[in-house]
Amino acid sequence: MHIPENYLSPQTCGVIAVAMVPVWVRAARHMREEVPRQKMPLVGVAAAFCFLAMMFNIPLPGGTTGHAVAGTLVAILFGPWTACIAISIALAIQAVLFGDGGILALPANCLNMAFVLPMCGYAVFSLVRRRQARHAGEKDGGSGSSSLGQELRAAGIASYVGINAAALCCALELGIQPLLFHDAAGRALFCPYPLWVSVPAMMIGHLTVWGAAEVVFTVGILGFVRRVAPDFGLARFGGTGLAGASDDVGAQPAPVRTVRAAGPVLGLVAALAIATPLGLIATGDAWGEWSTADLATRVGYTPSGMARGWEWSSLMPDYSLGALPSWLGYVLSAVAGVSLLLIAFRLLSGASTPKVDFGPRDDD
Amino acid sequence: MTSPRDAQIPAWLTQGESYDPPRDHDGFLTKSLLSLAGVLARMRLDDGQSTPVSPSTPLKLVLGLGLILLTSLSGNFAFVLVVLCLALARAALLPLRALRRSMAVACAAAGLTFLLMAPALLLGQAHSPLLLGTKVLTTCLVAMGVALSTPAARLTRALRTLRVPATAILTLDLALRSIVELGRTASEVLVALRLRSVGRDRDKRSSIGGVGGVLLLKAGRSAADTADAMACRCFDGTYQAAPDATRPHARAVDAAWLAGGLVLLVLFFYLQGLV
Repeated sequence: MHIPENYLSPQTCGVIAVAMVPVWVRAARHMREEVPRQKMPLVGVAAAFCFLAMMFNIPLPGGTTGHAVAGTLVAILFGPWTACIAISIALAIQAVLFGDGGILALPANCLNMAFVLPMCGYAVFSLVRRRQARHAGEKDGGSGSSSLGQELRAAGIASYVGINAAALCCALELGIQPLLFHDAAGRALFCPYPLWVSVPAMMIGHLTVWGAAEVVFTVGILGFVRRVAPDFGLARFGGTGLAGASDDVGAQPAPVRTVRAAGPVLGLVAALAIATPLGLIATGDAWGEWSTADLATRVGYTPSGMARGWEWSSLMPDYSLGALPSWLGYVLSAVAGVSLLLIAFRLLSGASTPKVDFGPRDDD
Repeated sequence: MTSPRDAQIPAWLTQGESYDPPRDHDGFLTKSLLSLAGVLARMRLDDGQSTPVSPSTPLKLVLGLGLILLTSLSGNFAFVLVVLCLALARAALLPLRALRRSMAVACAAAGLTFLLMAPALLLGQAHSPLLLGTKVLTTCLVAMGVALSTPAARLTRALRTLRVPATAILTLDLALRSIVELGRTASEVLVALRLRSVGRDRDKRSSIGGVGGVLLLKAGRSAADTADAMACRCFDGTYQAAPDATRPHARAVDAAWLAGGLVLLVLFFYLQGLV
């Protein structure tokens, strides 16, 4: 789902970048208000889950590959706006350091994976949780009891819808290129596949295998986090209690509790980083992520906009490190990416001003 | 006795206060105090407490120096990137204060190097600024990681283990202690000066000589006291460093770190062979 450089026209990239600026500004404001300083480093850990999930390539018959994003997971843990910032930073690191996704296409990738995905995912999660609460209320006579199983079920549905919404957006962005930008002979200047090719090509994989992978990642990690570190996320967004799932916009954020048991969660991050070479089992490129030469072989010509396009040479292209074996390059890339995310969010927590909540305690 | 309900607020307490002290010319004092406080804070920076998986201080020093040396000598960019990945992982686990300082120093040094090497881009040597900038970033991160996670006293102790001459360690140790001690004295003198010169005073800068003189006298007296104390304790030139407190599985942990260092050494020679 990472749109490479030159697949989108500079005009499309520019329009999406302008549209994303207010989104990022609003997301930053929400994050500053919602996430306490002490929990900011944990957002980095959640962003690390996204980064690592995107490294596990899963093959489909026919030679194409795809991956999970785990964006709904971050939205459930820290809210959709914080997820927007977290995933945007992860995507920026991938683009700049590893050449995964284009630099000019970064706003478009952020729109799909850092905005549409967590927003849709969280909206569906809230909807399902509210229905569960109403259902439980009718059953228990209003006691509103909840279980982790119900939360995980809601997270599974939400993550499936979220990733498919993001994939559809990506397919639309790619598919409108030949309709908007073509030469006098009718040849596409940028991505040559129209909507009736790009939408099915993207959606078939995401409605089946990669959607299932997103559900597995989200539910697996959320279940683990809820069991070993219940205080990891923000109670107002997810939480194991149904009260956390309600859309209580005016409610105060939950009081800052001591961040406990972050160790096992970091252990899971380390285990996933070591396991990333499993993503190398899937050979071949994802649909719409071919090199310009590969694309020319497929369509029979090189779109002129792509031939004249700009290319960023990253430090570790395709998560590789020179002559080192690809599995080692993959593991070291995962280590570097996760470390950079942790450093970025720890520095952000140091830069944010401490807040003291003198409001009534809701855990008495 | 008047009950609390009958108590009246005195009239002078109800009057508003509008005391606006005149702006003083105390930039010299403020700046000196701030810079001294910064130096003292850095000297006492001992955030990096050793964990059960930390190497012993002498090994940490050797590994740090070795990594800096190998990174500097490496002609293969891949090796520099491998060390950078490891240094970033270490930096991510540093305490926040140490992380902030470490990243600030490393990024500033790397940025400056890149700027200085920028003309090479015009000469068609695009690789050189990137390689040198990354090398500086990596070596600074390694050096800061070692320095900020090890208290000064442990570093001098580690030097003794590495057979550095006793006189050199004694000089270094005394210098470190003196900087902290004299810094504290300078801070006290500056605070005293500020308290005694309330109000507008254009002559504060002339007190630099006084502050310096007091420090000089204090340094001389401290040096004489140290010499007397050494004579009393029959100091014969040998400097015995107390051994590190024993940690559980210290040998096994050190062996694992040493093995990791050897793997990096082998990787260095392998990658150098490919250049």
